[in-house]
Amino acid sequence: MKHRGKTYEVGPGTTLERALRELGIIPETVLPVRDGKIVPLTHRIEEGEEIELVDVISGG
Amino acid sequence: MKCTICKKPAVIKLRHANLKLCPEHLVARVEKVVAETIKKFHMFTPAEKILVAVSGGKDSLALWEILRKLGYRADGAYLDLGIEGYSARSREYSEKFAAARELKLHVVAVEEELGTGIDGLVRVARGKACSLCGTVKRYLLNHVAYEGGYHVLATGHNLDDEAATLLGNVIRWEEGYLARQYPVLPGEGKLVRRAKPLVFLSEREVAAYCVISGIQYIYEECPHAVGARSIALKHVLNKLEDRYPATKLTFLRGFLKVRDRFRPREPVELRDCPICGMPTAAEGPCRFCRLKERVSHGAPA
Repeated sequence: MKHRGKTYEVGPGTTLERALRELGIIPETVLPVRDGKIVPLTHRIEEGEEIELVDVISGG
Repeated sequence: MKCTICKKPAVIKLRHANLKLCPEHLVARVEKVVAETIKKFHMFTPAEKILVAVSGGKDSLALWEILRKLGYRADGAYLDLGIEGYSARSREYSEKFAAARELKLHVVAVEEELGTGIDGLVRVARGKACSLCGTVKRYLLNHVAYEGGYHVLATGHNLDDEAATLLGNVIRWEEGYLARQYPVLPGEGKLVRRAKPLVFLSEREVAAYCVISGIQYIYEECPHAVGARSIALKHVLNKLEDRYPATKLTFLRGFLKVRDRFRPREPVELRDCPICGMPTAAEGPCRFCRLKERVSHGAPA
């Protein structure tokens, strides 16, 4: 998974929600995207799969 | 996970609304919520001219797209804030969006109006970057809307923005700001009506709407917003929301029910700024003109 320029390795079979919680990221603060499409938090990550975590928080 | 409405595969779960939605129904929900908010708060009618404040971010571009799809007459206004790198990129997203849909986009360079961009202003003026930038944006967007004969200025403030602002105002008991926090603020004289049609949509829903609709927007955050109080407040609310879904919505809706308690007994009197002629609550020059004067002297404001 890629988030803010960093890459995180996640074991295959882990759900996105669990992977995010293990990284200390509140799942609802990001939008997982693969090939321009949203990936649900229930998705189990597959071997070699690349997912980008788009931050949804903006401010100032 | 299946869509609550059509049972097709869902891509997003909205815990605050108790919904799981497929792409098609997420788009339909977002547009329905906006349409209902516009009507409920009498923000504007299809006959009126709307100016959307466009930043190149997800909220403003989504708002422009939704208004267009709902049949409203909406042009855009982009302020080139003069923030190194960031402004050029956000302008590109705004201009590409407008060009692809053949929409009218007013582009105003802050440097031309103020004598410097936000990067320069932060160096010479006292105050936090976001606060200074807010003053400049409110002034110039109102100016563009007024001069252009628009009936209303629409901004992309979403539920997370409004809940964070509310929390900040409550923590400091800013009664004046609480009185003015509302989804629509009426116009008066040269002050153009302001509306926030996305106020009941979470940031995540708006981001999802953009991804599904193929709206390209700037992902990166403004460099001046790093460490901003508003973002810290959002993090606090997100932690609460994670544990108690619908916290933000309940907080905002509850406030809107009691907001009248914060209304001042006497309405705030607006005067014309002796320099630019635009409305101000201050005695003497408006804040924008004072900033402009300081910029011209290169001294802290």
